[in-house]
Amino acid sequence: MIPLVLNAESDAEAPFVTRLASRRSADPRESFCLSSTPTQSLWCGMEGLFTLAHPMDALTGDVVLVDPSARRAERLLRAGSPHNSLLVTEQCDQLCVMCSQPPKKTHRDRFEHFETACRLAEQGSVIGITGGEPTLHMGPLLAMIERLLADRPDLGFHILSNGQHFDAANTARLAGRLRTNIVWGIPLYAADAPLHDHIVGKPGAFERLIASFAHLLVAGARIELRTVMLEDNLDALAGLARFVAHNLPHIEQWSLMGLENIGFARRRWDALHVDLRARFAPVGNALDQASLYGVPVRLFNIPLCHIPPEFRDYAVASISDWKQRFAPACEGCAARANCAGFFEWHPDHLVEKVVPL
Amino acid sequence: MPGALDYLILVPTLRCNLACSYCQVSRAAIDARGHDWSSATLAGVEALVGGLTGPEVKIEFQGGEPTLRPDLIRAVIDAVPAEIQAQFIICTNLQTLNDEAMALFDRDDVQISTSLDGPLAVHSRQRQVDAGEAKGFHANLRTLLARYGPGKISALPTINPLSPPDPEQLIDSFAELGLDSIYLRPINYQGFARKRHPASRVNGDQWLAYHAAFVRRLIARNWIDRSRVLEESYFSLLLRRIFRPGEDRHVDLRNPNPIGRDYIVVDHDGCVYPTDEARMLTRAGIIDLSIGDIHAGWDTPERAALEAAATNDGDPACEACAYQPYCGRDIIDDIARYGRIDLPREETDFCRRHLYLFDLAFELIHSDDPAVQYSLRRWLGLAGETGALAAP
Repeated sequence: MIPLVLNAESDAEAPFVTRLASRRSADPRESFCLSSTPTQSLWCGMEGLFTLAHPMDALTGDVVLVDPSARRAERLLRAGSPHNSLLVTEQCDQLCVMCSQPPKKTHRDRFEHFETACRLAEQGSVIGITGGEPTLHMGPLLAMIERLLADRPDLGFHILSNGQHFDAANTARLAGRLRTNIVWGIPLYAADAPLHDHIVGKPGAFERLIASFAHLLVAGARIELRTVMLEDNLDALAGLARFVAHNLPHIEQWSLMGLENIGFARRRWDALHVDLRARFAPVGNALDQASLYGVPVRLFNIPLCHIPPEFRDYAVASISDWKQRFAPACEGCAARANCAGFFEWHPDHLVEKVVPL
Repeated sequence: MPGALDYLILVPTLRCNLACSYCQVSRAAIDARGHDWSSATLAGVEALVGGLTGPEVKIEFQGGEPTLRPDLIRAVIDAVPAEIQAQFIICTNLQTLNDEAMALFDRDDVQISTSLDGPLAVHSRQRQVDAGEAKGFHANLRTLLARYGPGKISALPTINPLSPPDPEQLIDSFAELGLDSIYLRPINYQGFARKRHPASRVNGDQWLAYHAAFVRRLIARNWIDRSRVLEESYFSLLLRRIFRPGEDRHVDLRNPNPIGRDYIVVDHDGCVYPTDEARMLTRAGIIDLSIGDIHAGWDTPERAALEAAATNDGDPACEACAYQPYCGRDIIDDIARYGRIDLPREETDFCRRHLYLFDLAFELIHSDDPAVQYSLRRWLGLAGETGALAAP
């Protein structure tokens, strides 16, 4: 696993964002390396000297947020990684049965640091925005992205949202400068309101979500629909496919996703997890129904050898590099480069269940 | 509604080394003068292509035989801005292969389209070539298939609806070359075909029955041999239009059918036409359907007049038709056959043909024969082998 948070030492008075450059530069937002060992590197920048508990080579080009009082540094934007995401808040107004990042009550506003970091992002980056629920802070969030796009129109944003907070007041703004550069990743678990509400732990969530889709579609917003495959909604997936085809045909992509064994899902694993090796038929049916009506649909977080051969073209090697893992037997697999593999925290006894292709 | 221009048919020369009995474009003799792009026309096309805004463009080289002027093809390819994803299609009779043509074919962004009328004897009779020349074409086709595989090459049969080849033989002649897609195309009522094949004005019931029998033969063969999927391309298109609203990039079947916006034809003399059929009608001296030229542009009253009629919305027959959402409007076809566009729609060949084919499509969609469902699912690109298409 690639570490995202490092132990750090700095005498700066407040947290700061800097890019770790390979050599001294004229850009005051950059720091450069003075010395490096296999376990630690010493850097110099506008905020003085600081150490990071990681060698220089692995860090060069990263944008980090150093927090002196917490004695740690977050690698906000790792160089060359397509999987960078910024955690805007840990607050959320849903309580999904499988939540991978269970919500907290308090909010620490870090938009200023995120904005500084995004300005240092590589050309053409797509930056993930996650939570919690980012749109609980809709105003500051959209304002930050508007300011960024004014100077960095090359940046793209992928925002994970529960879709509970879009209304008519947002549409003009979303249809403006933000429209082309934001993809909204929004979960929908069933075409049946009680089932969806049960999964997200919030009565009325389905109805509010459908209202939000109307506002987003009016704005012409780009939408990635996301559905985690669970024991609860497996048999409802084909119906959901028809619902999407008939009611949300303008979405950019529908992503069917395997469950992550983390957060709430960890203690409910046996009740929630579906073994697709034994029960792929409902998923295949959903993929066919979606494709029949021209809905672009993809399969995420499932290793290729767990998918029947005729459906493997739908699979995306989706698991982010820093949390991706393979079984020892995967070494000999010809398809490994195109495979999602497993999440780092996937149950050990299940990771072994692979068939090299 | 259509976006920016992203589909061009270019005719760098009208000259051809063949004289097919049904030639749709009134081609010029191989050594004729004044039938190739002038330098001014080339400059106009280069400026047009260089100004495309993308992100994608499809450019098809027609003729005449475009490989007689590989220099013009190269000039167009070079004029496309680097950031645009371009696909080039060279429509060639493959009668001769030379190094310059091969160098073009070798490019990854070039596709080859040719005509294969079926068994050698049929091909030779329709193309008015002797058996040796027909063999030459076959040898060239095989050479290219061996070099590139079937993915790069599409072949279209042109069929005389009054004496169509046996479906099985026609399918075999494609299948044995590794070509899985067959676009069943009756002789077009255009160009030389008007004089030599007068019966092609109306594709009678015989042709429709042939088309249906052909589709059913494909279904039977696909069911027996699961190792490959043979399809009739036009029928597959109809299926996609039934299930997928917005599948509007087939310019012969869409509604409305915008004129001179996302798609134009530039002839050998720089004239611009809305479709290749419009070019043929004009070349044959029937009616001038040009909408402008490469120098002065084509945002003209002629373009607007054609576009105003290019819809099936509001037509009393179409409005009452269950298939209207899937169907289209082809006013050039009506003009070609009847010289007018105001016939009651149900009396036109276009309407009868599509009514028949949509009837067939819905009969098959609702069939509970697993062989039928199997082929339909393959033609629609579905992964799962089983399951009914009709809504539960």
